[in-house]
Amino acid sequence: MTQRISKSQHSKMQNIFIQFFKFFYLNIRILKIVAGGHGSTRG
Amino acid sequence: MSKIVIIGAGISGHTAAAHLRRKLSKEHEVLVVSPNRNYQWVPSNIWVGIGRMKSKELIFPLEPLYKRKGIGYKQAKVVSFHPEGNTIESKPFVAVEYVFGKNQGKTENITYDYLINATGPKLAFDMTEGLNPGTNKAYSVCTYDHAEHAWQGLKDLINQLKNSDKKAKVLIGTGHAKATCQGAAFEYILNVEKELVRHGVRNQVEVTWISNENDLGDFGMDGMLMDYNGFNMKSKDMIEMIFEDRDIKWILGAGVYKIEDGVAHYENLEGEYKTEEYDFAMLIPAFSGHGFKAFDKNDTDITEKLFKGFMIVDADYTPRPYEEWTVQDWPETYQNPSYKNIFAPGIAFAPPHSISKPRKSKNGTDIFPSPPRTGMPSGITAKLVADNIIDSIKSGKESLHHKGSMGNMGAACIASAGFGMTKGSGVSITTYPIVPDYIKYPETGGRDIGKTFGDIGLAGHWVKLSLHYAFIYKAKMKPFWWLIPE
Repeated sequence: MTQRISKSQHSKMQNIFIQFFKFFYLNIRILKIVAGGHGSTRG
Repeated sequence: MSKIVIIGAGISGHTAAAHLRRKLSKEHEVLVVSPNRNYQWVPSNIWVGIGRMKSKELIFPLEPLYKRKGIGYKQAKVVSFHPEGNTIESKPFVAVEYVFGKNQGKTENITYDYLINATGPKLAFDMTEGLNPGTNKAYSVCTYDHAEHAWQGLKDLINQLKNSDKKAKVLIGTGHAKATCQGAAFEYILNVEKELVRHGVRNQVEVTWISNENDLGDFGMDGMLMDYNGFNMKSKDMIEMIFEDRDIKWILGAGVYKIEDGVAHYENLEGEYKTEEYDFAMLIPAFSGHGFKAFDKNDTDITEKLFKGFMIVDADYTPRPYEEWTVQDWPETYQNPSYKNIFAPGIAFAPPHSISKPRKSKNGTDIFPSPPRTGMPSGITAKLVADNIIDSIKSGKESLHHKGSMGNMGAACIASAGFGMTKGSGVSITTYPIVPDYIKYPETGGRDIGKTFGDIGLAGHWVKLSLHYAFIYKAKMKPFWWLIPE
């Protein structure tokens, strides 16, 4: 096993307070990309 | 009055039916034909496969919903396509066979003005010798009942390990040289690994990823360069980081061709024939078309006008080398060029080529992922097909204003990496566009780096869980369901 993600990074990834805000950030960012439209490539 | 027949009630067919019914007046008929009696939210199957979700939480019966909403429903499978009618029936029709109820076994010709083929893929387990879910210790999570079997198999292994010092091997990935849907297998391996930790048996198990990808993180999309914490990181580096951190081994460029009890036989790109032993495996099968036949009005076989494995649509199918592929090859309206009232959104359309670079083994075997078409593009393409049909009906002439190429469409892959409200994790990856445009984005691997990003953490699990509830709410067509984007 190789520790590729440090313990402090793991803590951040599981920190409920940080992740609570990240949840909204992710949702907004994903929504902007996915609902941001789609269209032709041939125009 | 128009009659729209939709074949299939998965994400694509169900989405099309819902939008058509909402936007068309009741004088127009919307009819769904599907052999399945339940709608299932496929992305959550992986949680059924680790015993953290019951299948009843991701399925619901179609018939009562359709009855309430004024959508016709026949539990039947399509036998053949007749886009010109025949000598008896002047209108185009599909021949179907009922698979349930008092009409089981009976056939019927269902006429239509517009036909949406949303049949998705056939799970072609038969293309890999010995790969049959629930046998040879190999399982699948492609359907909710497959996932239930997978959990039973995994649970048995965990119980054996808890009561002994036995060592075991878990093998998860693709079960065919040209399989796709690596994302589902990726989610499952991370969830299984997490469950092994939770049950206290992780140190007894060697967990291995086996895949037809040339690099980790290819996902059938040629991999991607993404924004990760402010750095431009390749998906292969990100997945390698996750696998190494969790002590997951990997075998790449592997075309699995035979499964025996606890043994997977594969050929690699070097042309070597190897085996990998396992005590529990979950291998995604190849996807294929359903082998439908089509006939003209004189009952002459015209299958090649409609199908190329999957259904032929407005793509450029001219064979060309990888270097000459462009995003313009990909379809935009999903309309069959020979029969303008037939459409094939979602997974039912024949892709012009793979997205990943094609590779052959030294023996000449094709070993590379087929193009994935997950829930999000399935929903988007189904909605645009429905919108074009609605516009055509309302204007009285063909309208194809709504377009959506996978070369100009984003997708979000929210991969669960472990279940739990506080202990869970997710790997969130967004990609824009799905098919890389190397001319428009030459310096960032064909993708818009502002819209292609990755993130790891508990929030990803919450996002995936909230998507589960949001999309089941939407599929049940509850109030304002249509405000939730595809």
